[in-house]
Amino acid sequence: MDSQPLSDSPVTRRQFLRNGARLLTMTGLGVAAGALATRSTGAAWVWQLDPAKCLHCGNCATHCVLEQSAVKCVQAYAMCGYCQLCTGFFPPEPNALTTAAENQLCPTAAIQRTYVEDPYYQYSIDEQLCIGCAKCVEGCARFGNGSLFLQIRHDRCRNCNECAIARACPGDAFRRVPVDHPYLLKNVNR
Amino acid sequence: MEAVMKPELELYDRREFFGVVTKTAAILGLAGAAEAGAPGPGTANPFAYDISRFQKTDPKLIAYEEVTRWPVPHKEARRLAVGPDDQLYVCAGNYINSLSRAGQRGLELALAGPACCVAVAGDGTIFAGLRDHIEVFDARGARAARWESPDPKTWFTGLAAGGKDVFAADSVKLAVLRYDRAGKIVGRIGQKNAERNVPGFVVPSPFLDVILHRDGLLRVNNPGRHQVEAYTLDGDLEGAWGKPTAATGGFCGCCNPIALAALPDGRIVTCEKGIPRVKIYSAAGEFESVVAGAESFPENALACNDLNDCVHGGLDAAVDSGGRVYILDLVAGDVRVMQRKG
Repeated sequence: MDSQPLSDSPVTRRQFLRNGARLLTMTGLGVAAGALATRSTGAAWVWQLDPAKCLHCGNCATHCVLEQSAVKCVQAYAMCGYCQLCTGFFPPEPNALTTAAENQLCPTAAIQRTYVEDPYYQYSIDEQLCIGCAKCVEGCARFGNGSLFLQIRHDRCRNCNECAIARACPGDAFRRVPVDHPYLLKNVNR
Repeated sequence: MEAVMKPELELYDRREFFGVVTKTAAILGLAGAAEAGAPGPGTANPFAYDISRFQKTDPKLIAYEEVTRWPVPHKEARRLAVGPDDQLYVCAGNYINSLSRAGQRGLELALAGPACCVAVAGDGTIFAGLRDHIEVFDARGARAARWESPDPKTWFTGLAAGGKDVFAADSVKLAVLRYDRAGKIVGRIGQKNAERNVPGFVVPSPFLDVILHRDGLLRVNNPGRHQVEAYTLDGDLEGAWGKPTAATGGFCGCCNPIALAALPDGRIVTCEKGIPRVKIYSAAGEFESVVAGAESFPENALACNDLNDCVHGGLDAAVDSGGRVYILDLVAGDVRVMQRKG
């Protein structure tokens, strides 16, 4: 079988290398342009916790890369019953319905109880103290209206490429949401 | 002469080798990710909310046993009631279905919206409580009337029917409306009134119930105060009993009891959520026994099963003329028939 002489091949080695270099250069320029465009508009997606899937397991408090978790409890006031005996605030059998430390469910006393009028009390979260352990969330969902729930606070979250809490979440409650809708909030239908 | 490898030394060719390496790496990678993601074995939640000691009922207190269990005909069960002929009426979805003592389906009433509560008068008239109005049907199921509520934000969650009056518990306006049989509102019971010494209902979630007791008084649950209150038909508060405690003798959590029924001899049946249980108290409010404890309702663990609306958890109860207690499990979607032991 006769082999085709090199002088008759359609592309010479020099042309091949030249074309390859052009292709690489254009590709590199395109990637650079895309990276710059992305940087200028910021990250498009952020992590968030879906309260419908949360199992109140406590991992949010222990698995965040931050020393104090970026996950905090939030209160849906429109759903709250403002109960005198709030099961998100008090342990199952409190000694008294007071704010004494022994009567509080929260391990860091992050829930503030404020008298409104007989027999209603308002419960609000001090985020400086909240560690996102979900103990109050479980108590509220078990007996009450479920107005307390966890959310990632984006003034704290580092938006890790791979969220350490998401990897540990047994309920698969973490997902990416658009940065312009960064929270998955509860509503009330009443 | 071409060298030939010994058979025992023949390895994979390049393609096979890379294929094996890739598969092995993928398997190891998946296993590693699963291991890293899962909580370690035996790792307890240091912030666990533990109420396990309250979820066990002393067997000596359980006075009833389950005879049978029927599935509810439709989804989203909410309430049930017993009629004068011991027919059971179940609110589920947009329907009210009647069931015989043997569990056979009878009448089916289709409503314009979700059926929230039901009551049946002695003459067989059926009163179906939707969220903001009441629909009246005759004993054969023909629609007879529609009674409106005076307030657009009404949420009826309980009904009781007497000979001359119908009582509708409104969990949003915190009152029991007294209708005459023509559908005219003739009174309001239970609204906060310092002059009449009525403290008012505290209803954090839509579970307000009313029953017409054989002693001629109404019994209404006041969940936020952990009490059962007795009212005259004109709205005078005659008495109240109940105490907040997770122990068996009281009402657990933030707001219980959520439903009431009355035995033929006047004793009161109460239902609770959170630690789901059905209990019996004397007419004066002394704890007597347990019909079914938390062990009987494993799916009913959370009061709030819906993200935005807390009406899809809990229990309801009704009693027939023979003293059988029917328990409606809103989460499991079934009716359990309970009979006294022995």
